[in-house]
This record gives sequence, structure tokens and C-alpha cells, in this order.
Amino acid sequence: MALLEVTGLRTQFFTRDGVVKAVDGVSFELEQGKTLAIVGESGSGKSVTALSLMRLIQEPQGRVVEGGVNLGGQDVLKMSDTAIRAMRGNRIAMIFQDPMTSLNPVFRVGYQIGEALRVHKGMNRKRAFDRAVEMLDLVGIPNAAHRAKDYPHQFSGGMRQRAMIAMALACDPDILIADEPTTALDVTIQAQILELMVELQQREGTAIIMITHDLGVVADMANDVMVMYGGKQVEYGVADDVFYRPLHPYTWGLLDSLPRHDISAKGELCPIKGQPPSLIDIPSGCAFHPRCPYAKEICRTTVPALVEIEPGHSSACHFSGDPAFRRDQVACSADMEAN
Amino acid sequence: MLKYTVRRLLQMIPVFIGVTLILFALRIPGFLPGDPIKLIAGEKPLPEGTRRQIIKENHLDDPVYVQYYEYLKGFAKGFPDPRNVDLGESYQKNREVKDILLDKFPNTFRLAFAAIFVEIVLGLLAGIISAVKQYSFWDVLVTLSTSILVSVPVFWLGLLLQMTFGIGLKKLTGGAVFLPITGMGDPPDLMHLILPSFTLASVSTAYVARIMRSQMLEAMGQDYIRTAMAKGLTERAVIFKHALKNALIPVVTFVGIDLGALMGGAILTESVFSWPGIGREIMLAVGQRDWPVVMGGVIVIVFIYMFVNLAVDLSYAVLDPRIRYGGAAE
Repeated sequence: MALLEVTGLRTQFFTRDGVVKAVDGVSFELEQGKTLAIVGESGSGKSVTALSLMRLIQEPQGRVVEGGVNLGGQDVLKMSDTAIRAMRGNRIAMIFQDPMTSLNPVFRVGYQIGEALRVHKGMNRKRAFDRAVEMLDLVGIPNAAHRAKDYPHQFSGGMRQRAMIAMALACDPDILIADEPTTALDVTIQAQILELMVELQQREGTAIIMITHDLGVVADMANDVMVMYGGKQVEYGVADDVFYRPLHPYTWGLLDSLPRHDISAKGELCPIKGQPPSLIDIPSGCAFHPRCPYAKEICRTTVPALVEIEPGHSSACHFSGDPAFRRDQVACSADMEAN
Repeated sequence: MLKYTVRRLLQMIPVFIGVTLILFALRIPGFLPGDPIKLIAGEKPLPEGTRRQIIKENHLDDPVYVQYYEYLKGFAKGFPDPRNVDLGESYQKNREVKDILLDKFPNTFRLAFAAIFVEIVLGLLAGIISAVKQYSFWDVLVTLSTSILVSVPVFWLGLLLQMTFGIGLKKLTGGAVFLPITGMGDPPDLMHLILPSFTLASVSTAYVARIMRSQMLEAMGQDYIRTAMAKGLTERAVIFKHALKNALIPVVTFVGIDLGALMGGAILTESVFSWPGIGREIMLAVGQRDWPVVMGGVIVIVFIYMFVNLAVDLSYAVLDPRIRYGGAAE
């Protein structure tokens, strides 16, 4: 049995303008020690999916309306408040996008790392702090014993994200959710942080859910990839399958938007035209149809189901079943010539 | 930190000179109506000898800058021991200004600290509750009552409270017990502090509650709160540790400035309650054109205000580690 099984997760926000269907029926599995990447544009529901797993959706504005999150035989969504607190930071830990604002400015870094240990492992202040120093050392902060006494503003961005990782891994969680952990960092630091995460994953056997819009990160780290669009899962499968035999036109678009040295001779990128949909007013049928160059009448009228096309590789497109309907790498360049 | 403190102390010198110069402008002949000799000796005609003596003792025939110099000399006697300070003699009371102030300031301090206490306890509590239970009945109650409180003049509120508790509820309270007029003994009866301190604190309490509410709401929307929740802390720990410590910083600023202001006497509240404090004394002195008392009182108030503000500024460093005084970061 998988470590984490998510089935039919739906999270909605109730605003004055209407109901925001931020996550609309998402299912996936995560095995121990493996990495799942959740990929998509801003506003596709990636972060809300992660927050739903932690039950960190702000009620009453937002709520998980349906679905199951099975963590080692227990349904996270049905846990009591006490049980959920015992799980947060202990079995599932999370690191966030912006390390500049994710640490509390008025507490020492070592104290903030130690807090989880005091709550979950019953350590006293002193022992938790000592353990925090060890964690900082583990994530590669030089002179950790001294730096643990610093405040967050005395750390650089990369160091703060390292401290966040130390905080998340302090209680040796089964699952680490990383919500765009490198987006706010310099490119050089990004690589270091990702390397650190992979290294710690191999050492501790932690499963990682990596939320990102950076396909380069996905290629480096992920075992499985889930592509989200408009709150829905559009493609889900093993990383190699999704990269080399992508099924969904949206995934094609994402891959085409990447700078490549081997194709697109004119040296220009092929972005997906248009804007991501509003999650209040999702387009009828397939949410991607207004931006999809292959859209037909059925796409406007019928919501495509997520169907397993190849073993362990599914797609939510009406045409994915057709073996001839596959990514054509020339299409983009031809399209550009025409313009 | 030491360097910063010294610099701040040195900055007090120009402030002191500015304040005293403005007050000394009042001494320029013709600036204020009335004859100081008559204020000192009364309306009856004086023998020439006495007249000359009064003029000499009070330096009344010296140029204003000489008077200023003499005044500063008297003031300088207060260093290092403030008990030796010479602020001159009251025109009206035949007492040293220093002694009058020493009589009145303890009462002002008593009232100020009682008001600050009310302000902190009620203001913080109301602010936190209305932020944590946003849009609840309590939040509406706090928001509404603070809006009313900030717009009610304190003298009116004071009179209203006196009427309610002193007259309306006479059976319950025994009449004037809540007013300081009777039984202001030593040690003073705490009961007498209740109405004046609530009156004095009313506006500030409302402000503290509002600042606290908005700061708490802002703090609770920050990313580090989500981090703290994700760690598995209880809601109480998240609110009272992670959010509160951040939200308190602007509140401390406000309370600190207010403390400085309250220690300088509360003219309206002290007058309405006949509270024998410095504010009321200065107001009476202004009415009687008792210049030395006004001058001495204002100078001491200015000093207290400056020192309290310095203490507040230094206390930030304790609350907010991002603030470190004295140049380069560690």
C-alpha cells in the first residue's frame, strides 16, 4: 500500500464573487522515498492541493468539500484537531516558497527549528535547541552552533531556505511537501537547495511532494509527475513517460515553453497563448479548450475524464486515446513561421 | 547601544534650549499683560524699598538674556542631584517651585500608571479578542465601542462617570467615595483612582484596542504563521507566541508615547476630578499668571517626556531583533 493515497480531493473557497473551485477532483499516490512533482501554472491549484493535505486551508472561507487523504490507513480529512496537530510537522512537514517571510522575524532560528521537536518529541528547550543545531549542521549551515542563535534577518535567502528544510526535517517526517522551494532564490542557490533535498531524501527515506512550475526541477528529481490545469489533473504518470511521451496538449505546451537547444531553430520560445482560467468561472467542457490549438466541438461541451492511456500514465483529453494524436515538435515552429 | 544612548541624551540639549527659549519669550516686557510685582505683592501700594527688593530678587530689571542665564544657572544646580535644583519661587504661593512640583508629581504619576495599566490590560485584551474572533459579536462590540470612545471628550466622560457613580448609584457606592476630593490619604485609597484612571485611559484604550486588532490580523495573515501551523503548534501557541510578539511592536510605540504624555499631567482629567496633579497645577498657574510655576512645570514635563521616549526606543531592541542601535549589525 502506498504511503499516501489521495482520492477525489476537492477544495473550494467561498468568496463574494462565487465559489472558487481551486482543486477539483485530484487523485494520486505517493510511495515511501519517492518524489512526486505537481506541475502547473500559477493558480492551477498546486499549492491548495498541498495545503489541503495538511488541513491548512483557512476555514470558513475555504474548505475541503470532498475526497480522501489516506496516510498510513488514517483519513487525514477526518482526523480530530489534536490528531491533525500531532501529524503536522511530525509525519507530513512542509516548506514554503518564500523563505524571507516564512520564518518568524522575532524568534531565533534555532528556537524555531526546536519548536517542532518540543511539541512532537517532548524535548525540553535545551535539548531541542541542541538538536536544532545538529539539523542546521546537517543542511550545511557553517558554524551552526553560533548561527542557531541568530535571527532570520541575519540569514541570507539560501540559508533561510536551508533553515526551513532543517525545520521541516527535524522530526523525521514521512512526507515532505515543498511548495516551490526554489522560486524565490538565485539560480545558483536553487541548485544547491535541490541537491540538499535529494541528498537528505536518500539519507532519511523521506517521500517528497515537489510543487513547481519549473520543469527542469521536475526532470532532475521527480519519479512521478502530475500536471494540473484549472484545478484539475490533466496528466499523471511516471516522469519519463510524461517527459518523453506526453499525452495532453497542455503538457505539450509546457514543454514547448522551455528553452531548448536542439529545436526551435529561430531561438524563440513557444509560450502557451492566453491566460490561465479564472477558477470561479471555469470554461465549459475541457478547461483548457480556449487555449488549445487542437480544440474541437466536443472539448467545449464535455469534460474529459482522466483516463489511463498506457499502464500508469493517464491523461484528461478526449483525443489522448488516439495513438496518432501525439506531440508534434515541429508544430510550434511551423506556427511561428506562419506568424 | 551605549553610543546610541549617549547620542540621544545629547540630542536632548537643543530640545531643552528650544523649550526654555520659547517660555522665556513670555518674559519679554509687554508680551504678557500684568505686572509681575503686583502678582507677587498684591494690589496694595508698596514701600519703595520692598519694591526694589522684589525687583532685585526676581531679576526683573535685568535684560531677558541675563534672566535666562540666571534661570539656567539655577536649573544646573539640579545636576547631578535633582533635589538641589533651583526653579525659583512661585509668585502666588510664597513657596519654592521645586517643592510645589514635588508635591504634585507623585499624584500625576499615580494616575498615569493607573491609566496605563487600564490601557494595556483592557486595550490588549479587547484588541486580541476582536482579532481572533473577527466579525463575531465581540469584534463588533469592540469596534463599535472604540469608535465611540475615541470621539468622546474626556472631560464629558469624567463628568458623566461622576454623575453615574457618585450620584446615580449613590446607594451602591456611598456617594463621593470614588472622587478624590475626600480621603486622599497616604497611602492613598486605590478606590479614588478608579474613575479618574478609566477616564484618562478611555481614548488611549480605544486606540490600543484598534492598533492591537489590526496588527494581530496582519500578523495572523503572515507566512510565518502558516509555517508555525504547519509545525503542528496549537492555535493558542501560534496566536499568543508567534502572532502576538510581532503585533506588539507598534502597540509598544503607542503606549510608550502615551506614557510620556500622561506623566506630564492630564489637564482635563485632573481638572474634572480635582486631582491634585501637575496638569491641574499648571492650569491654575496659567490662570494666575504664576510664571515660575508654569516654567518649572513645563521643563520637568519636557524632561520626563524625553526620558520616557528614550526608554521606549531602547525597549524596541528587546522586542524586535531587527532593530539594533549603534551602527553596524552584529
